[in-house]
Amino acid sequence: MSEMSSVPWLTLLMVIPLVGSAVVAFLPGSAEQAKRIALGFSLVTLVLGVVAATQYKSGGTAQFQLAEQHAWIPQFGVSYALGVDGIALVLILMSLVLTPVCLLAAWHDVPEDIDGARRTKAYFALLLVLETFMVGVFAATDVFLFYVFFEAMLIPVYFLIGRFGGARRQYAAMKFLLFSLAGGLIMLVAVIALYLQGPGGADGFLIAKLTGLSLDPTTERLLWVGFFIAFAIKAPMVPVHTWLPDAATESTPATATLLVGVLDKVGTFGMIRFCLQLFPNASEWATPLVVVLAVISVLYGALLAIGQTDMMRLIAYTSISHFGFIVLGIFAVTNVAGAGASLYMLNHGFSTAALFLIAAMFIRRRGSKRIPDFGGWQRVTPGIAGAFLIAGLSTLALPGLSSFVSEFLVLVGTFGAHPVAAVLSCTAIILAALYILLWYKRVMTGPKPEGLTGVRDWSLREKWVAAPLIAFFIVIGLYPKPALDVINPAVDKTLSYVHTNAATVAEGSTK
Amino acid sequence: MTAVAPAAFQQANIDYLAVLPLLIVFGAALVGVLVEAFVPRERRHTIQLTISVASLVLAFVAILFATKHQGLTFGYTDGATSRRLFALAIDGPALFMQGALVLMGVLGILIMAERFGGVGSDAFTASGASTPGSPIEAASARAGLITSEVFPLTLFAIGGMMLFPTVNDLIGMFIALEVLSLPLYILSGLARRRRLLSQEASLKYFLLGAFSSAFFLFGTALLYGYAGSVYFGDLSKAVSDTSLGLNGLLVAGAFLVFVGLLFKVGAVPFHAWTPDVYQGAPTPVTGFMAACTKAAAFGAILRLAYVGLDTASWQWQNAVIIVAVLTMIVGAVLSVTQTDMKRLLAYSSIAHAGFVLVGVLAFDQRGVSSVLFYVVAYGFSIIAAFGLVTLVRQDGGEATHLSQWAGLGKSHPVIAGTMAFLMLAFAGIPLTSGFVAKFAVFAAAIGTGGATGTVLVVIGAVCSAITVFVYARVIVLMFFSEPADDTVEVLVPSVGTTFAIAIGTLITFALGVVPSSLLDLADRASQFVR
Amino acid sequence: MTSTAEAVAFWILGPLAVLGALGLIFARKAVHAALGMALTMVTLGVFYLIEKADFLGVIQIFVYTGAVMMIFLFVIMLVGVDSSDSLLETIKGQRWWSFIFVIGLAGLLIFTLGQVTFDAKTVQAGMDRLVANNNATGNVTGIAEKIFGQYVWAFEVTSALLITAALGAMVLAHRERIVPKRTQAEWAARRVKENQDVAGLPAPGVYARHNAVDTPALLPDGRPAAKSVSRVLVARDQVARTDGYRDVERYIEREIEEGRQK
Repeated sequence: MSEMSSVPWLTLLMVIPLVGSAVVAFLPGSAEQAKRIALGFSLVTLVLGVVAATQYKSGGTAQFQLAEQHAWIPQFGVSYALGVDGIALVLILMSLVLTPVCLLAAWHDVPEDIDGARRTKAYFALLLVLETFMVGVFAATDVFLFYVFFEAMLIPVYFLIGRFGGARRQYAAMKFLLFSLAGGLIMLVAVIALYLQGPGGADGFLIAKLTGLSLDPTTERLLWVGFFIAFAIKAPMVPVHTWLPDAATESTPATATLLVGVLDKVGTFGMIRFCLQLFPNASEWATPLVVVLAVISVLYGALLAIGQTDMMRLIAYTSISHFGFIVLGIFAVTNVAGAGASLYMLNHGFSTAALFLIAAMFIRRRGSKRIPDFGGWQRVTPGIAGAFLIAGLSTLALPGLSSFVSEFLVLVGTFGAHPVAAVLSCTAIILAALYILLWYKRVMTGPKPEGLTGVRDWSLREKWVAAPLIAFFIVIGLYPKPALDVINPAVDKTLSYVHTNAATVAEGSTK
Repeated sequence: MTAVAPAAFQQANIDYLAVLPLLIVFGAALVGVLVEAFVPRERRHTIQLTISVASLVLAFVAILFATKHQGLTFGYTDGATSRRLFALAIDGPALFMQGALVLMGVLGILIMAERFGGVGSDAFTASGASTPGSPIEAASARAGLITSEVFPLTLFAIGGMMLFPTVNDLIGMFIALEVLSLPLYILSGLARRRRLLSQEASLKYFLLGAFSSAFFLFGTALLYGYAGSVYFGDLSKAVSDTSLGLNGLLVAGAFLVFVGLLFKVGAVPFHAWTPDVYQGAPTPVTGFMAACTKAAAFGAILRLAYVGLDTASWQWQNAVIIVAVLTMIVGAVLSVTQTDMKRLLAYSSIAHAGFVLVGVLAFDQRGVSSVLFYVVAYGFSIIAAFGLVTLVRQDGGEATHLSQWAGLGKSHPVIAGTMAFLMLAFAGIPLTSGFVAKFAVFAAAIGTGGATGTVLVVIGAVCSAITVFVYARVIVLMFFSEPADDTVEVLVPSVGTTFAIAIGTLITFALGVVPSSLLDLADRASQFVR
Repeated sequence: MTSTAEAVAFWILGPLAVLGALGLIFARKAVHAALGMALTMVTLGVFYLIEKADFLGVIQIFVYTGAVMMIFLFVIMLVGVDSSDSLLETIKGQRWWSFIFVIGLAGLLIFTLGQVTFDAKTVQAGMDRLVANNNATGNVTGIAEKIFGQYVWAFEVTSALLITAALGAMVLAHRERIVPKRTQAEWAARRVKENQDVAGLPAPGVYARHNAVDTPALLPDGRPAAKSVSRVLVARDQVARTDGYRDVERYIEREIEEGRQK
């Protein structure tokens, strides 16, 4: 099931940021030097990731490629096993691209006068450690190893929010940690029980060994619930979503981007990899409930986003809505919807990154996150306004930009299986237009604001932050084939484990 | 009357190499007492410290040799009835526990010996007999008196703890219980600061400990009445052989004996002493107690549950399950409201005792190995944690109130960082030994415990989540808050304490990342000899 | 099984032992409690003797009732016969809750143990074995064989307990003398230097009917002299009143007055 690789690409992708974070944290020197070193390490990781991606051949027989496997804790059946399929590869590449972008965006996040270079070094080191865990959690093909990364990645985020965040950062960090850990501990019980249901032995935690088990229905459903609760909290889905708006508001934009753009994908990724692949019958049994919750998330998130005055909170609610779409696509259990959901994860990562980081640019200039404090900014910072417009249009899935492809695939794929859900979710497209365009109108259009002196348009650094994101929107929007070529076989493989007749409704033209 | 030939006196067979570790520790304790008598005061502290650490290291080497001499010893096989009348059972779990106790004891003694540049141990009072607050107390401190008796007392305690999981009969277990407890009662009352609190803690520990020992003895008497013998092997066999009329003795006896043992680990509802004693005792002694007493007591509980009363497990299992559930819940819930660091760690140790009890209730070899792993992982972490608590001071006294720890991350990042890491280990975050230990215990419980085991694990997971809040709050205080005032300082520890804390933290990390060697050792050491 | 004599002895002495134990717990005066405990110990010794454990019975009376109870009484003497602890209950409702729990526990134990039925033959066999052993080797030798043979390890480890107890007593109760003890010459020199009580403190009062250390001497104006009794007695409020002793004096004085006026 795994094709072993000779060069340990994935381990390298994890080790390099880890080494980088140690260097950044402990090397004496100025904060500026530390920041440059951090950026350097993240760029090296990105290059390595691209090289590793070239080694990946889409459409092989094995589910996982670039695989490595060593025994770690044989007494528990745990192996250090890594491997990627199409979905994981795409998400890893997304993390590798977003990390340097976020590092660039976070360049001036930590004021240097307080505590000197130590705080800056800690901040950048934590971001690099987070990158290690992000790669690890997507690349793990051993359930225990996945769980370890799933929990471990909470700690850097906890410190990033709690130490470097806004006024209510303690509360937000604690809420985030408690929600996620509660879900994690429920999942722990399910993980242990799953191993005992499987063949056991020194490598009994490998996904390959745990796929295709014939479990008695009650056990399978209980296990599914255990895993799903953790992923639903992570995703987040209504009704366990309340940690996200607080966490997003109180973190720095770079942290919020990585949190919402990458870490939350772990939830939906887990739904595909574990809930669907390991417990297909239970997934089928639970689909009605999940679809209902997903539709509620879609509509609730969109409706609440419209009325927000805090911009970061607004983006958080839009994410809740988008994640509803992703979960809907996953649990529609059709190849089209599944591919759409995976591509959606990729697109959402970039579009959320764009929203957070570009909004951060004018938030910092104005010193406030509240929409009423803005107005007419397209005359003050036309460049940023333009980039913001593109980011907003991508979020509302304008055709020609990348998000349109994924949203279309999800809706088309869902329509065959759950037409009502699809129709209801379509209304969210209108709501999305509402919240994005209203936001743009209130912030950017209007007469030029008084009393704003010395506000410059975007700097070179900020252009470098926005450029990759905008380029992605346009390229994938017009030519999504490379991404879909990698995603489709992986989705097909995963869904082949699900014992339903994959209703392949309109294999929409994806050219 | 027919003359019965007098029975010949049968000498016990003694395998000296098997009991050598115990003999070394007790012998060193005796030497320590002589040192107290004859060595002039200036050199006493150094000599006592050297003797203690050296003897414990020697004992560890002896344990390595003893692994080749496993079996029942210190007794004989009765020719007439072919009963095996041996006092000690040197087997895997016993030797594993002895090794763990010796190593944790070394760390505990190193922290106890911390002088911070003074004359004697900083944690212990200069004159234990002086009334708190009297001029004699101050005069003793000025005159440079020291209480270096703590070292032989600690060695006696370690000897008793090593003996506790090794004994093969109930009377030996009672004696070991007393041998390990008496020095701890004395040590708890010898704090240098807040002496009234310390003496109160000592008295509470003594009274409640004496009561629980009395319960244990009562249970022993009843079990003897049931089985006709105090040996665990005979007790186990007697369950199937004895008539049902005597069942009342078995139930009552088992219950009372467990009360005595569960008191020692701080299980609910026998936990009332834990917060007060942990708070009042000198902090290094608290760390030593939290790690080593728990290890020894769980070793004894394992032996009683798996060798002595295993055939009668259906009698007492439900009661212990209820105790485990209560312990986890009470320990987790009550730790939320604590504002004193030592009390917080005390309630957290109660919760951890509950988790270990869940492992005990998996009647399987995996249960034994998971318990062995857990006490080692927890022991090293808690010694390091209490070692860190000894360092934070304000106005010359220990700053144990949580508000005094605010902002420590800014002023002393290394100390705060280490404490944060240990808090994460207690919470059970992956990549720490606490997670691997919890996983082992939970896996054992689900694996062989059936539905009950799964329910226990779910409750354990929920209680873990509650304790996460407690530990996260400490981290929030240290790293995300501003310091309350500038007078809180962190003393610089000497080599010994630094070494102890560093080793404890390193082991916490190592057992989280590469636990397989210790897991393997625990697996191989989980077979009891009968 | 149990002979009549044994049964009679048990049913008379058993309740006595329980009464002694209850006396230990509930007696108000410390000495009464100690005597209650002595009663329990003696009856236990008698039980052991009845059960043919001669050595144990005699040792129980020697060691427990003799040595241990004497130590108790010494401690009571040093602490003070009249001293008693404060019986103020600081935890609300603790008396009631402990009463309920004790009754519950006692009830549980009585219920469980009350259902136990002993097999007469096994009990008799055990008794016979003990008697045979006593006849063969003697009770003392039998115990010696057990202590030095089967239970030698337990016996030796108990020494650790005794050493710990002695060490603990030293640590917790023995005050090392930091400054050398003042000799009488030094006390006198100090008194002269400070010009206070140069002739020494006044001695306690001597009266016709009482001259113990707890009666103060009288100053010239008739008030009791505070310095003439130990301040420990003052602190314990155990200083005797002098009025009663002075009544005789006043009576004689009045008689002398009357005689003079006649």
